[in-house]
Amino acid sequence: MKNITVKYGVDSITKQVPDDFTFGDLQESDMFKAALGFGDRTKALVEGIEQDRGTVIPAGATVRLETAANTKA
Amino acid sequence: METTEIIIKDNGTITERTIRERDLDAGKLVQEALNEAVTRTIRNVLSLPNWGLVHANAGSGDTLWSVVIGQIPLHARFRLVNGVLVPAFASDTEIEMPLVWQAPSEVRLAFVVLTEPDQDRVKIAGNWLFACDQDNRGFRLPLPNLHDDCRICTGEFPACYDTANQAVLASLEQFRKSKWNSDLMRTVERSQKFFRFQPTNESFQTLPIEASDWRSLCDKVSTDVMERVVL
Repeated sequence: MKNITVKYGVDSITKQVPDDFTFGDLQESDMFKAALGFGDRTKALVEGIEQDRGTVIPAGATVRLETAANTKA
Repeated sequence: METTEIIIKDNGTITERTIRERDLDAGKLVQEALNEAVTRTIRNVLSLPNWGLVHANAGSGDTLWSVVIGQIPLHARFRLVNGVLVPAFASDTEIEMPLVWQAPSEVRLAFVVLTEPDQDRVKIAGNWLFACDQDNRGFRLPLPNLHDDCRICTGEFPACYDTANQAVLASLEQFRKSKWNSDLMRTVERSQKFFRFQPTNESFQTLPIEASDWRSLCDKVSTDVMERVVL
């Protein structure tokens, strides 16, 4: 297990997650969604750099989630 | 300048180390690189009649203007439900009216204009509409014509102006006169609980939001633009 900190707007949460927990797992996590209030369309950034959904989140990392823009159908 | 040091290492090896120093004329470049992402907030830059105060957040290559508005012009189609007038954005048959929704004090609205320099002029790079709570959390209102990141689908209007003041006013004018249609619409149910009007003899009075917490009818947002909003 490892600790990660996730920020969404002015809110943040630090939680213990499995060692193989990826950015995609975070973006789909109902627990983090409920705690921070983000929706289905997000992008994950570390130090301002957007991360791939399949990448494992490093232990101790601070992840900033942002609302991703949709486009007109 | 050159300095030579003789080092005796732990294993007994004696090593010579030469340090060469020269001053680089790169102070300005380094300073610019370090300040690239730094922005500065300036409050009360403008006061626009009929709208409100305008605050600025200036970056190295752009400026974000936050207009603190207390109302939203809702030029849309409306339907009467149990004596209450609610929006029917997707309708082709209901009556079309330019109603103005007055925001309650707990809903803090920011109309945002991003401008960039364009030679000697000012270019509009986008318009956003955010609703904020008392803790500065940003929310997307249950309105059509708003992208998930609260960027407004404004329709076409000129992008370049002589001054930032003109750019902000032009954005607000486009916002005022644009029709709210069903583009980017999700469900109208939230809209109809949020934007409610009571027809009276002479006008249409804004009714309270039909929810114990207005935020439950909105989507929480977090974007780099929202981070720069000044309220």
